[in-house]
Amino acid sequence: MTIRVERLSHTYNAGLAYETRAIEDVSFKVKGGEFIGVIGHTGSGKSTLIQHLNGILKPDSGHIWIDGIDITEKGVKMHEIRKRVGLSFQYPEYQLFEETVYKDIAFGPRNLGLSDDEADERVREAMGLVNLDFDEIAERSPFDLSGGQKRRAAIAGVIAMRPGVLILDEPTAGLDPKSHEDILSMIRSVRENTGSIVILVSHNMEDIASMSDRVFVMDTGRLVRSGKPEEVFSDAGYLRSVGLGLPPATEMAEMLGLSGPDTPGTILSMDELVEAIASGREAGP
Amino acid sequence: MIRDITLGQYYPEYSIIHKLDPRLKIIITLVYIASLFIIEDFYGYLIVVAAVGGVIAASRVPLRFIVRGLKPILLIIVFTFALNVFMTRGDVLWEYGWLHITRQGIYTAFFMALRLILLIFGSSLLTLTTKPMKLTDGIESLLGPAKKLGLPTHELAMMMTIALRFIPTLLEETDKIMKAQQARGADFETGSVFRRAKALVPILIPLFVGAFRIAQELAMAMEARCYRGGEGRTKLNALSFKRRDAAAAAVCALYVAAMVAERVFI
Repeated sequence: MTIRVERLSHTYNAGLAYETRAIEDVSFKVKGGEFIGVIGHTGSGKSTLIQHLNGILKPDSGHIWIDGIDITEKGVKMHEIRKRVGLSFQYPEYQLFEETVYKDIAFGPRNLGLSDDEADERVREAMGLVNLDFDEIAERSPFDLSGGQKRRAAIAGVIAMRPGVLILDEPTAGLDPKSHEDILSMIRSVRENTGSIVILVSHNMEDIASMSDRVFVMDTGRLVRSGKPEEVFSDAGYLRSVGLGLPPATEMAEMLGLSGPDTPGTILSMDELVEAIASGREAGP
Repeated sequence: MIRDITLGQYYPEYSIIHKLDPRLKIIITLVYIASLFIIEDFYGYLIVVAAVGGVIAASRVPLRFIVRGLKPILLIIVFTFALNVFMTRGDVLWEYGWLHITRQGIYTAFFMALRLILLIFGSSLLTLTTKPMKLTDGIESLLGPAKKLGLPTHELAMMMTIALRFIPTLLEETDKIMKAQQARGADFETGSVFRRAKALVPILIPLFVGAFRIAQELAMAMEARCYRGGEGRTKLNALSFKRRDAAAAAVCALYVAAMVAERVFI
């Protein structure tokens, strides 16, 4: 599974007084199994970009190839795209609607035209991946669950479609620390078990730094930086200039003079920071 | 597609029409709607079209924005048109079985459709050029006399304000839910009418749940700011009748005079 995006542009309300260029001339490639973190301040075009990747929005210009299929072309079967690309929106729990969690998760697989047995298998698998106990939760109403459980049930509804590309738009927004951690470990286990490409949009720099293979930085509709977390987070000045920040450990290291443009090896996690301090690493010049 | 519904939406501009007193605009709109029903012939429509055209030009709201408001009632317009074309008796121009088209039929159908379109144009203009808050302020003020009869005018106006305020919010919510369900492979666009109606369930249930959630949050926020109804409540921006309002009223009177004169003399 690969993604190739070329010169993608999209304008909202084209021709009206309040037209806005949501994304402009965005190009990138993602290889199989890669974990991409997308950061950018509010309104930088992240959500618009990811909605193009599963065909919910059509670009004004540009192309997207998923596994060699150009999904921006007319007459492409939407089912074929959605089978491959799973998209979980912000606050996905607001899309829950069925009487039971089981039926809700089975909604996607059924839309793909799977049989009862296959759908059942998918639901069990998805619930296992998001760490919801099947016997306990499956027959309950999704509206009776806790906030974190609802979120996981909703994401399970996307995972159950077995997408080769899983896109998560701020999956941890508004959750308590425990549920936040649950979601992160869920994402890790989904990735390990399925080998899907994961695209994570988040405002939490620490999560992005610790999980991503590559980080995309969006600003005013453009893809302005892309690189390994160590590279992207080594340029604190630039990130601040586009309304972003650093992971807490990197920030701390910067204050202590242990990390910055002049020191090799950007510190991204608390463990690295602790080690750097304990080993008495020299502050940069 | 769902963003196309303009009914009840405000179009920000700084035109004279936008600045008029909402009370006056409501009255003028009512007069205008009433006037649509006294037209009988071509010249009457000519006056109305000219008047609406003038107001649209003065409001600086793009025409296609106003025309888009017709979309939701397009079916009704087409239906009315068809009904009138085929059902009016008169001089037969074309016949097939029990279907017949008469000269009078075409005439009536055309004017009925035009009347509906003008009706929507007029009322869209009111909401496009008036902020919902001002609109309800105007309604509350106009209903003032009814308050003495025990009508809870403030509460009614507040309910309308809230309802109008949440139209865009709920549309946005609908849009989001539709996208989320589409991402899970839901299909709203193909299949029989029955299938399509059934496909709405995954949208409607989350939408209702969301509406109740929003209502509850709003009620709490209002209580937290000590809202307790209309008793003794004053306005930050009190409505005032200015010179331009008097001028607009005069123009409206002229319009009515023209309509009546047309009806009586031509």
